[in-house]
Amino acid sequence: MRKIILIGLSLLLLAGVNCSRSNSKNSKKLTIAVIPKGTSHEFWKSIHAGAIKAARELSSPGAEVEVIWKGPLREDDREQQIQVVEGFASQGVSGIVLAPLDNRALVRPVEEAKTAGVPTVIIDSALESQSIVSFVATDNRKGGMLGADRLGELLGGKGKVILLRYAEGSASTEEREAGFLQEMKQKYPNVELISTDQYAGATRDTAKRASENLLNRFGDDVQGIFCPNESTTAGMLSALQDAGKAGKVMFVGFDATQMFVDAMKAKQLHGIVVQNPFNMGYVGVKTIVESLRGKTVEKRIDTGVTMITPDNLDAKDSQALLHPPLDEYLK
Amino acid sequence: MVAETKADWIVSGSGWARAWLNRLAPFLGLVLVILVFAILIGEPEKYLSLKNLRTVLAQTVIVAIGAIGMTAIIISGGIDLSVGSAIALTGVITALGINAGWSATMAISVGILVGGFVGVVNGMAITRLRVVPFIATLGMLGVARGVAKGIAGSQTVNMPETWANDLLLTVPKQSWMLVAPGVWIAIALAFLAAVVLRRTVFGRRLFALGSNEAAARACGIATDRLKIYIYGLAGLLFGLAGVMQMSRLRQGDPTVAMGLELDIIAAVVIGGGSLSGGEGSILGSMIGALIMAFLRNGCQQVGWPNYIQEIIIGALIVFAVAIDRWRHARLSAA
Repeated sequence: MRKIILIGLSLLLLAGVNCSRSNSKNSKKLTIAVIPKGTSHEFWKSIHAGAIKAARELSSPGAEVEVIWKGPLREDDREQQIQVVEGFASQGVSGIVLAPLDNRALVRPVEEAKTAGVPTVIIDSALESQSIVSFVATDNRKGGMLGADRLGELLGGKGKVILLRYAEGSASTEEREAGFLQEMKQKYPNVELISTDQYAGATRDTAKRASENLLNRFGDDVQGIFCPNESTTAGMLSALQDAGKAGKVMFVGFDATQMFVDAMKAKQLHGIVVQNPFNMGYVGVKTIVESLRGKTVEKRIDTGVTMITPDNLDAKDSQALLHPPLDEYLK
Repeated sequence: MVAETKADWIVSGSGWARAWLNRLAPFLGLVLVILVFAILIGEPEKYLSLKNLRTVLAQTVIVAIGAIGMTAIIISGGIDLSVGSAIALTGVITALGINAGWSATMAISVGILVGGFVGVVNGMAITRLRVVPFIATLGMLGVARGVAKGIAGSQTVNMPETWANDLLLTVPKQSWMLVAPGVWIAIALAFLAAVVLRRTVFGRRLFALGSNEAAARACGIATDRLKIYIYGLAGLLFGLAGVMQMSRLRQGDPTVAMGLELDIIAAVVIGGGSLSGGEGSILGSMIGALIMAFLRNGCQQVGWPNYIQEIIIGALIVFAVAIDRWRHARLSAA
């Protein structure tokens, strides 16, 4: 019996701390669940800020838009993300904005949500389903091609190159990897790809380990490196720094953090392909709200990719991409 | 000797009323969790709607089926850390089988058998190589995960649509089923396992082995062979959990269920299982699994962030076990 009492007390305590939110039953009010792949990457914080910006702009007295932000309990775990989608669907939110961890595994919960009357806008990575409102994302293939162009140019069209892949089954990074390889092979046939089959895993830590192993093996030969996302770029960068090779190898990464900007200033990183996650979060929420309010929306919306190099780093456009106004929207 | 151990496990209370109260304790814990969240959410009819119950039950199935096997292993004084990897491996194998044109029944059977094989290998390592279960299964955690990634070519394995995809459909295709077919399978298996553990010689031997291995051996129980059976049978269940996972994802995913073994062990422990062996019940473990699923679902619907869920579940495990220890101390003092 005491077990029960204790459990109850601890729950009530937590409830008190959080003071339960009032769920107004106003029919004009829209509740949008935004579900990222994880919450620790800075990339997702920008999406979060953009989503909140859209919610603020689209709210009007009597027709508020509320954004609920929730990632999978274990980052990068498909099963956990499915549970979050199912939870929101049975809770009955107005709509879902989802960055699916897998292009197939999330199809069933998204389709079940639609049957239950909860529509979904997909952001960031594709989902193989016709039951979605819209797909709002970076043109990832183009991003990979931009990376290949920059690296090919840096190497003068010849040299030995490593591609460190991200994780198995992630559609967006696979597109970038494919775009990179395609462009490299077509445009720079004299560049030799010495390793393209290694996966870095989900975190900076696993990426660093994979990078160290690659550098141990190919460190003396390699002249150029491409990484397809934030965690792989960060892992490779710190592995290069530890090995004393940073700056000696031409290195092009993907996504933006302060660490990468500093590395570019120190000429340790020679280019980053930058998406516009702030815009992605903004457009994602805007699209689902417009659709819920009865407007027709585009089925595919591109949110843009840009190559930032040490040369154009200080330009105004680059700075806007590198420093989205997070503080304004995230407390 | 054996019978005494068992009697001690059930309850050494004075009367049947107290025995029932003790057995119902975790159940009341579950009811309390549900009630608290129904109140917190402010819309109990939504939290307790058939729609939400279906969702939570379907989400519990994988942990529940795993917990049936884990309960047997923990009662016998062992542990299995390789469950998550075994689930990934069997899911991938089943998906590859369906891809290769096997019938779904055939592919699922092979998946389950592979789970059993992994269990038998664990059992062999523990008995023949004399490696403690923690280490033997820790090794298997890596091996099975690696094999899964290897045979899947480091990719998810997508497969054509078969009835295997419908096992954990939140809203079942046959509406008379009410909940997903997998939920009924889990309930049937739990019932079967409870009967085997309580009413058969095999079940009694298992408790004896976990209570005092040396005494069990002295009583003529072939403990090594028994351990291989236990890990093998539990492995079959882990294989089935892998099939369920594949059905939910509609693909074989070699990276899925990382760390799931901890959820499964937590379910058994919340339900009264003791890691030193000799104690545990199927009903308790099932309730442990449900408590965690309802907690997760409830936290999400109240709008609490993930870290609060993790703190609550972590604290709950320690609480449940502490209370259990305290009850034991009181009983042995009396």
